[in-house]
Amino acid sequence: MAHAELESKWGYVSPGGILRYPEEPPFPVKEYDAHYDHIFEMMEELEAKGEILIHRITEEYQPIPVYTRTGRIKLIPTNKLWHHKSCGQCGNIPGYPASIFWFMNKFGLDYLNEPHQTSCTAWNYYGFGISNPVALATIWLRNMHQAWKTGYYPLIHCGTSFGSYKEIRRQLIMNKELRDAVKPILKKLGRLTEDGRIVIPQEIVHYSEWVHAMRYRIKELYEKEGKAKKIDVSNVKVAIHNASHTYKMIADDYPYDPEVYNGQRPAASTAVIKALGAQVVDYSTWYDCCGFGFRHILTEREFTRSMAIQRKLKVIAEEVKADVIITHDTGCTTTLEKSQWIGKAHGMYYPVAVMPDVMFAALACGAHPFKVVQLYWNFSHYEPLLEKMGITNWRELKKEWEDAVKYISELEKAGKYDELMEFFKEYDLYEPYSKTSTGKPRASATADIPLFES
Amino acid sequence: MDEHNYGYNLSISEKTKMVPWEEKVRVVEEVKSDFRFKEYLFGCLNCGVCTASCPSNKFFDFSPREIVQRFLENDVEVLYDMMHEYIWACSQCFTCWIRCPFGNNPGGLVAIMREVAVRNAFEATKELLKPYGRVLLKVMTTGNQLSADMLQPDLFPDWGPKMADIMEDLKAKRLAIPFDIGKSVKTAWEVSLETIIELYTIWRETGIFEMLEKLDPNLYNVIMDIVEENEERYQKLYEGEE
Repeated sequence: MAHAELESKWGYVSPGGILRYPEEPPFPVKEYDAHYDHIFEMMEELEAKGEILIHRITEEYQPIPVYTRTGRIKLIPTNKLWHHKSCGQCGNIPGYPASIFWFMNKFGLDYLNEPHQTSCTAWNYYGFGISNPVALATIWLRNMHQAWKTGYYPLIHCGTSFGSYKEIRRQLIMNKELRDAVKPILKKLGRLTEDGRIVIPQEIVHYSEWVHAMRYRIKELYEKEGKAKKIDVSNVKVAIHNASHTYKMIADDYPYDPEVYNGQRPAASTAVIKALGAQVVDYSTWYDCCGFGFRHILTEREFTRSMAIQRKLKVIAEEVKADVIITHDTGCTTTLEKSQWIGKAHGMYYPVAVMPDVMFAALACGAHPFKVVQLYWNFSHYEPLLEKMGITNWRELKKEWEDAVKYISELEKAGKYDELMEFFKEYDLYEPYSKTSTGKPRASATADIPLFES
Repeated sequence: MDEHNYGYNLSISEKTKMVPWEEKVRVVEEVKSDFRFKEYLFGCLNCGVCTASCPSNKFFDFSPREIVQRFLENDVEVLYDMMHEYIWACSQCFTCWIRCPFGNNPGGLVAIMREVAVRNAFEATKELLKPYGRVLLKVMTTGNQLSADMLQPDLFPDWGPKMADIMEDLKAKRLAIPFDIGKSVKTAWEVSLETIIELYTIWRETGIFEMLEKLDPNLYNVIMDIVEENEERYQKLYEGEE
């Protein structure tokens, strides 16, 4: 959609080049024209001076506008996306990224999922203070440059990365000394433009914003394919847990919408659940964090589970008896799931399914609960939820997945890699190495994957 | 300085009392000279909204309001003492930041204090970070902070019996993840060798390896062995290409 068309439909372009609300805001806005929005004007100025290059959200990325809480309209690219994966999701909840890829395949969207990406390393920083702003900024810019070089737009899967990157961008734009510190390192890495500029994306976009922007297409898919499989979410009671790092960090850069509490609470996740027709139930501690704490989930779990049980799981069980808690971040999903079992020791066991919005939406649209949504890795009690959604054949579906694992195991142990690769061509959502951005031979940082050794 | 000038209720450890005043001033000034400091601290009405909504305050002796107040009053003794244990209770959720009517960011101040504590290799910090060695090894050498093989049942007994179940035939289960670079066991996704080499350069250029060496020399040595091994692999593989 051209900018002029966006402007005529959504609002107007301010002198600083920012797409803003029409005269009458769609919901009460407390901080109209917030200070944060100035960052975008400064980015334009830095580009004009030749310091940075803005990786712009052009029409090929098929942007969809969403409201923020300040009067600024954020463009969410929906196509041709470079997947900035999450280490917690891929390592711990692999159905999370798999569900995102599944939707992109279903919608026929183009995307790139390649190994040329590092973690943001911000968990390391928030938890343990090891690193510094220059390292964090360089890592961010290195990953963003990689996306830009491929022509794909970065989509950030992890809430921690998203929050960290938003904060780093603000620091980088506001502080010349930080820009001066990262530039020589980026140059050494070959991560500046040919004319020596730093590449910065126009918007930092979290996957939950993509789900939010795509919610009506997801609803269409549910109506067409989910319901054809007798899936019905209309009786499912959903409690929403928003992640602190998505909406409390750089709070002015996340979607709000009149459909969700009249724009007074973050809209992502809640809006897609509403679009699917499930029952969003409110609870008194919606604002509290989960207790992840970065450091605490690893080394002070008595805090993590106390927070998770007493401020979230118990409250949700007693106040609203939700069938599922919907999250949109790695740490929250892990914390709220894995803090349940230990509650038995204290007579505080409140079993409830926990999963991110995109996994719930994929289930609603008919994705295989185990081969795609990979529920096997989840610790919470998802079975009653599946029954309530009408996925009553989940036992057979689980058996299908177990058989697949057994088959894979046999082939792998027998060293029949060619057969395995053939199997993956059918099984995988993203064909092995169908697309990468470098022509170099494949070699991994750990060399632990004999299948793919160069 | 046995009694606090302002009569606050925060005790100061004996160890802190023994540290020369100039050293305490130096460390606190290091925090205050960080470029982010001026963006994180403005004014404070002592309204306490930050502390009332702070998750760590619910379970620890920790108050973001105290952090802000101590800086506003330049309370060197207390600030220095806080950097040894107090600040590590913060869960870095930044609820304080979104709620503060002044736009203060107490969580951000804590992040700077932690970074300075690590950079100065405080003894208490070394102790606090000991259990974190595995994650540090992973992120420094592979560019991933977490991998499937790190979730060992004996390290997470409170997560229940499902953990052991998942670890059984882990490799095959990882291979059943339906996208190619997600199939790895030792990393969350397969990170390419050329990418990790870039990350090593970033660690070097930004002083993170040095920071680690001061903090844990043994871990540093293990990490550098892997770094050098990967750098050699890279050179052999792409020899003559550049």
